[in-house]
Amino acid sequence: MVSPVVLLAVPLGLALCVPLVGMASRKAAGFVPVAASLFNLVVSVGLLPDALEEPIVANLGGFAPPFAITLFAGPVGVLLSALVALAGLAVSLYALSYISEGPTIRYHTLYTLLLVGATGVVLTGDVFNLFVFFEILCISSYALVAYVGDRAGTEASIKYLIQGALGSALLLIGIGLLYGLFGTLNMADIAARMGSVDPGPVFVAMVLIITGLGVEAAIFPLNAWLPDAHSSAPSSISAMLSGIAIEVGLYAVVRMVFTVFGASSMLMFLVFMGFLTLLVGELCAFAQSNIKRMLAYSSIGQMGLIVFALALATVHSVTGGLFQLVSHTLSKALLFLAVGYMVYRSGSMEISSLEGMGRRMPLTSFAFTVGAFSLVGLPPFIGFPSKFLIVRSALAEQGVLLQVLVGLLLAATVVEGAYFLRVIQTVYFKKGRQQEARREAPAVALFSMFVFVVLIVVIGVYPNLISNALESGASELLERADYVRSVLG
Amino acid sequence: MSFLHDYVYYIGAFGLVAVGLLILLVKRNLIKLIIGLSILDTGVNMLLISVGYITGGTAPIFSRPGLSEGGMVDPVPQALVLTAIVIGVAILALALGLAVRFYKNCGTLDLRTAKELKW
Repeated sequence: MVSPVVLLAVPLGLALCVPLVGMASRKAAGFVPVAASLFNLVVSVGLLPDALEEPIVANLGGFAPPFAITLFAGPVGVLLSALVALAGLAVSLYALSYISEGPTIRYHTLYTLLLVGATGVVLTGDVFNLFVFFEILCISSYALVAYVGDRAGTEASIKYLIQGALGSALLLIGIGLLYGLFGTLNMADIAARMGSVDPGPVFVAMVLIITGLGVEAAIFPLNAWLPDAHSSAPSSISAMLSGIAIEVGLYAVVRMVFTVFGASSMLMFLVFMGFLTLLVGELCAFAQSNIKRMLAYSSIGQMGLIVFALALATVHSVTGGLFQLVSHTLSKALLFLAVGYMVYRSGSMEISSLEGMGRRMPLTSFAFTVGAFSLVGLPPFIGFPSKFLIVRSALAEQGVLLQVLVGLLLAATVVEGAYFLRVIQTVYFKKGRQQEARREAPAVALFSMFVFVVLIVVIGVYPNLISNALESGASELLERADYVRSVLG
Repeated sequence: MSFLHDYVYYIGAFGLVAVGLLILLVKRNLIKLIIGLSILDTGVNMLLISVGYITGGTAPIFSRPGLSEGGMVDPVPQALVLTAIVIGVAILALALGLAVRFYKNCGTLDLRTAKELKW
C-alpha cells in the first residue's frame, strides 16, 4: 500500500516539470497533466478498498499526530481525490485539442497545480494546510479564468480574485482565532477539545471560516463571482471550476461544520441557505440567453441542492448529497466540454446560435443531451438515483416545513428541466438559417466527452457501484468520534 | 488603560482589517482595491503574530541558558505568517498583472466601466 502523500507530491513535481518538458516540445507539455491525473486516479482507486475498511492516516515529517501535518485519507477523501483525478484526466485530454493557442505551457502548469490544490484540500487533516491548498486551488483558477486575456475574461478574473482573496482573509482570521483558542491546528485535536472552551469565540471563528470557504463553495449570497468566472473562462476550465473547484470548497465547508465544529445548531441555517441557493440559481439560469452563463447558474442551483442534502445530516441524506456531488461533477463537466466545441463552431454563446447543431455536430449534441437529462434527473442517468435519494431522505424527516421545502425543490427541478429542454429543442428541432456542413469536435475531445457519457449511464443503471462507498463516506462525515480516534489513536 | 496595553496588537490588527475592508467597499479604482487587499492581508498577518506573542518574549531556543517558560514566544504562528505572506505576494502579483491587462483592454482602471458582465 502506498502512502497518500504521493497523491500530492507526484502531481506537484510534475506541475513544475511542465515548463522543462515544454522546452523540449510544446506539444508534449500537454501530456504532463494527463500523466499526473492518470497517476492520481490509479493510486486513489488502489487506496479505496483500504480506506473503506479503515481511514489511512499519514503524518508528515514523522512527528506524532497533533504536531505533524496529518493527511487523512478516509472514504470521502479518497473518493473525492479519485473524482478530481477522473475529471482532471478527461478534461486534460480534451485540452490537448481545445487549448492550442496562447501560452499553452503556462496553462498546463496552472492546470496541474489546480489538481494538486483540489486533491490537497480533500486529503488534509490540518486547518492551516487546508488554507494553503485552498489558495493553490484558488490562485491557479484566478489565473486560468483570465487565460484568453480578452475583456470579459480579465473582468471576471478580477471579480473572482477580489472576492476570493477577501474570503481567504476571513478564513485566515478564523484559523488564527482557532489557534488562539485551542493551541493546535490539527482538525482531530480541535474536534476533541471542542467541548472544553467558551462557545462564544468558537462561534465567531466558525462564522468567519464558513463565510471564507463559502465564497469558493458558491453558497448564496457569496456567489456573485461565479456566473462571470465560469462563463468567461475557456470551456475546459469552466468544466474544472464547475465540476471540481466549487465541490471542493463545499467539501471544506462540510468538513469544518461536521467534523471540526460538530455544529448541529448551524445545520438548519445551512438547509435554508442551500434551499435559497437552489432557488436563486435555477431561476436565474432560466432567464439566461447565454448558454455558458445558463450552465454556470445551474451549477449554483446544484450546489444549493447538495448543501440542502448534506445539512439534513442523516446517513441517507448525506449519502444522497455526496451522490449528487459525484453526479454534478460528471454531468456539468460533460456539459461544459460539449458546449465548448459547440460555441467554438457557432462562434457565439447565444442559445439561439446553436440552431441546427444536432445536424452539424450529432455526437457532441448527443453528449450534451445526456448531460442535460442527467442533471435534470431523468432515468437511466446518474442524476436520477442521486435526486431520488435526496428527496426520499428529506421526506423521511419529520416536520411540515421540510416537506414544503421538498415540494418547492421539486418545482425548482421542473424549472431546471424547462431551461435544459429549451436548449435541446433549439439544438435538434430548429433549423439553422444557413445549412452548414457537418463538422464534429476532434476525436480526442469526443473521447473525453464519452468517458463521462459512459460513466453517467453505467452508474445511473447500477447505482450500487458507488453507493456503498458513498454510504461509508457519509458515516465518516457524521461520526466525529471515529475521526478523532483514527487520527489521535 | 490596561485594556489598551494588553490588547494593543489585537486592536491594531483588527484596525488594519477594518481599513482594508473599508477600502474594498468604497473605492472603485482597481489599484486602490489592490492596496486595500494588501492592507487587509497585513492586518490578518499581524493578528496571527499577536496570537502567539508574549510581551518581552524571545525565540524559543531551549539550549539558551536562563530562558524561562513564560519568556518564550510561540513559533508556530510565525511559521504560519511566513506562508501567508508568500501567498499574499502571489495574489498581489497576479492582481497587478490583471490590472495591467484590464488597463490595456479598457484604457482605464475605473471598475465602474467594467459592465461587460452582469446578472
